[in-house]
Amino acid sequence: MTKTFFAKGSSRSLDRLLPLILLPVALIALGPVVRLLLEGIGFGDGFTTDHLTKVLTRPSTGTALMNSLVTAGGGTLLSVLIGATFAFLVALTDIRGKGALVFCLMVPMMIPPQITALAWMQMAGPSSTLLKLLGLAPPLGSPQPLHSPGGIILLLGIQHASLVFLTLRAGLRMIPADLVEAARMSGAGSLRVWAQIVLPLSMPALIAGGAMAFVTALGNFGIPAMLGIPAGYATLPTLIYQRLVGMGPSVLPEVAVLSLLIGAIAIMGVLFSRSVLSRKGFGLVGLSGTPLALSLGRVRGAVEMALWAFIFVILALPLFALLATSLIPAYGVPLTFNTATFDAWKEVLLIQPGTRRAYGNSLMLATSAATILLLISLPLAWLIQRRPNRLSRILDALIDLPYALPGVVLSIACILTFLNLPFTELTLYGTIWIILLAYLARFFVVMLRPIQASIAQLDPAMEEAAASVGARLGRRLRDVVLPLAAPSAAAGAILVFLTAVNELTVSALLWSSGTETLGVVIYNLEDSGETVMASALAMSIVLLIVLLMGLVQAGAKRLPKGVIPWQS
Amino acid sequence: MAELIFSNLSKQFDGAPALDRINAQIKSGEFVALLGPSGCGKTTLLRLTAGFEHPSAGEIRIGGQSVAGGGQFVPPEERGIGIVFQSYALWPHKSVSANVSYPLEVRRVPRVERQARVNEALSLTGLSDFAQRMPAQLSGGQRQRVALARCLVFDPRAVLLDEPLANLDLALRASMHEVFSMFHRRTGATMLYVTHDQGEALALADRVAVMESGKIRQFAAPEVLYREPVDCFVAGFVGDGAVVSVRPTGQVDRNGLMLKVLGQEVLSRSATAEPSHVSIRPESITLSDDAPLRARVTGCTYLGGRFRLSLDAAGETLVAFARQRATIGETVGIKLQDLWAFRDPDGTVLMEKVLAYA
Repeated sequence: MTKTFFAKGSSRSLDRLLPLILLPVALIALGPVVRLLLEGIGFGDGFTTDHLTKVLTRPSTGTALMNSLVTAGGGTLLSVLIGATFAFLVALTDIRGKGALVFCLMVPMMIPPQITALAWMQMAGPSSTLLKLLGLAPPLGSPQPLHSPGGIILLLGIQHASLVFLTLRAGLRMIPADLVEAARMSGAGSLRVWAQIVLPLSMPALIAGGAMAFVTALGNFGIPAMLGIPAGYATLPTLIYQRLVGMGPSVLPEVAVLSLLIGAIAIMGVLFSRSVLSRKGFGLVGLSGTPLALSLGRVRGAVEMALWAFIFVILALPLFALLATSLIPAYGVPLTFNTATFDAWKEVLLIQPGTRRAYGNSLMLATSAATILLLISLPLAWLIQRRPNRLSRILDALIDLPYALPGVVLSIACILTFLNLPFTELTLYGTIWIILLAYLARFFVVMLRPIQASIAQLDPAMEEAAASVGARLGRRLRDVVLPLAAPSAAAGAILVFLTAVNELTVSALLWSSGTETLGVVIYNLEDSGETVMASALAMSIVLLIVLLMGLVQAGAKRLPKGVIPWQS
Repeated sequence: MAELIFSNLSKQFDGAPALDRINAQIKSGEFVALLGPSGCGKTTLLRLTAGFEHPSAGEIRIGGQSVAGGGQFVPPEERGIGIVFQSYALWPHKSVSANVSYPLEVRRVPRVERQARVNEALSLTGLSDFAQRMPAQLSGGQRQRVALARCLVFDPRAVLLDEPLANLDLALRASMHEVFSMFHRRTGATMLYVTHDQGEALALADRVAVMESGKIRQFAAPEVLYREPVDCFVAGFVGDGAVVSVRPTGQVDRNGLMLKVLGQEVLSRSATAEPSHVSIRPESITLSDDAPLRARVTGCTYLGGRFRLSLDAAGETLVAFARQRATIGETVGIKLQDLWAFRDPDGTVLMEKVLAYA
């Protein structure tokens, strides 16, 4: 009876104006994706399947597709292994320091993949400063072991383990405590309860998490670019990058087909994961709670040691290696107290115009994207939540798409859309605005969902109370909705900033001289052999990220559930 | 202060009727309770009055001005109506005094006057010491009073209260009854009070509208509802007692009708010459050893000062009060007097509804 909120359309002008923001949002967020779909069937030159057949039958396509499936598949297996181990141990046992452990496991997710790859490369191979420091470096001339499919799989697995972890932990929290208690009353021991009750019930979450890790690994550009290109091992995203960079916009129709291919696989993965999660397999009834607080007894210390050692290896060690490389005067020089220098740091942060410009560009892009999205998302989230209509429902369902699709796919879509602006001779290709537009489309959902979550939690009576005492829509939004959604909006803005400031995949395809971003510059520095400077730049970005993550974490108590991606 | 008029007011949600042609007039300054089981449409009527819903048909007039219906709709912010929500809906980011002063800020009342009116509203509700607290630091009863003060401060034309005591414990409810009565006396505001608790409705309201299935069954003063219910639903829903079907004997006295009730001839008050049922309140039954009508005691509960007896007489369950405890299974004689008879052809159906809500 009280479920319906405000009735439709009162006579106030803001009431009629507000829904108008739906249109530009739909155009920016979904326009490029639609344009890409049209390109695949030969939009502009009449309907044709020529590109499709030509590209799909080329041998390089088949090889890249195979490589993509192998590395993404292998990486997913590793992610499931790592993520599930951590999830079961953190959610079901009495180990200590869970908060810190989870935070550390989540850091790799927030560090951009090209920096992860760079850091790991500093940990292995003959030129590793860290190994030299320890006297463990292999002889000169021996190959970099990470420049291989195995290396790609290893890093993809580590990068996306947190996705599996988060999904599975959320699933474990849904299991009603009384199911476990009932099993215990029937005489089952802890291990039997885990194997026969908890594991089967959490299977859908595990599968869904795996599917998400697979989709993300498939679209990953930074890791196969850093590790695969030097070894001549191409995946679909790097193949697209190499063809577009090598041949220019003339190959657009072909790469559009390639990106549609990844897009199709990615969407199938997302749909599969959603359907598994929504069906859940079982109708779980009962109070959810801590399903199992398994006491590890005497092995607890050993388990904790093992988990922290693992964190040390996947997080601290690569970062140490990166730091070590950033402190030497030239690549190959061993790090000692005499050789250690901040020259590379000074060079990238203060002297080199290219890196300083990249910092400026990335900070500008991230700040603009965060600000613009903040301004649009607040009224948009309110509209979707409080005045749903057909357009807002469609938008709500599809706005995930630009974020779920691999970055290369969105980049190609944006190039196609903005290469020639409709009805003008203007082009945005080669300007910084195309990157900004792509960021707006891609990160919309990162900003929208937290705000939506906090408005959904808001009792509609809060706004009705304001209306009844005479506040019009504008005032209600400003005085009631905005202050109460502010913590989530701030978290969303920081997340957009965090993701945008390190972004490589989209800008790698959209940058041109003068509009390079941090991600692009790190990649180019490493590509041209300036590993020390690349490391210094990468290290400065890691510090920025950890600082921002800490900032969001500090405000965690004031945020609704689900706002912070590294907390389920 | 303004009168509220509902004319042929109907509301459907996705085709399902919630209100069915409501006609009622609430006088300026009157305290009216909407009483009914959950799902009867009372909250819908309240939300239509506030302007949170659009009527499907019919009209609402506040103080002579049409606010909904006839092609026009005045939004809630322009109706000048205060509402106290079941959840209180205090803004958690504003202090008590900021919550109370917000309606005046929206109306651009100058600061000095605003402060004075906020202080007055706070002292009237006994909240002066809590002005700087945040809502989270208040108890349930205090929050309720903040919501009331927020309503009172801008002199609304009418005040709507949506089950305001549902979230409070029993002891607090009694003290809040007095706060509401005091509030009504001091402000003289027209008040519309939604509740499913008949004790609250009968205790507080000048008049009570008993609602069921989107219709108003009876709209009358509490004592009229109790003594002269119009149908089986009202008789069963309001107050204690029993409803029994009767047969008129045809004899008419100047004090009422002579009816055959449970095999006995009893003189009853009645609004009609051909009643079908009588309402037998506990006060209408006197225990008397030599009475011809015999009843078996099936239950006995102590109410403090007296006992409530459930009696089985000729297959009907009656309720009586007694000064002494009775043994279950014991047979007593009962005398009936001062009954109220009414005509309700759908009586049996309605009685089932009452039992379903019980």
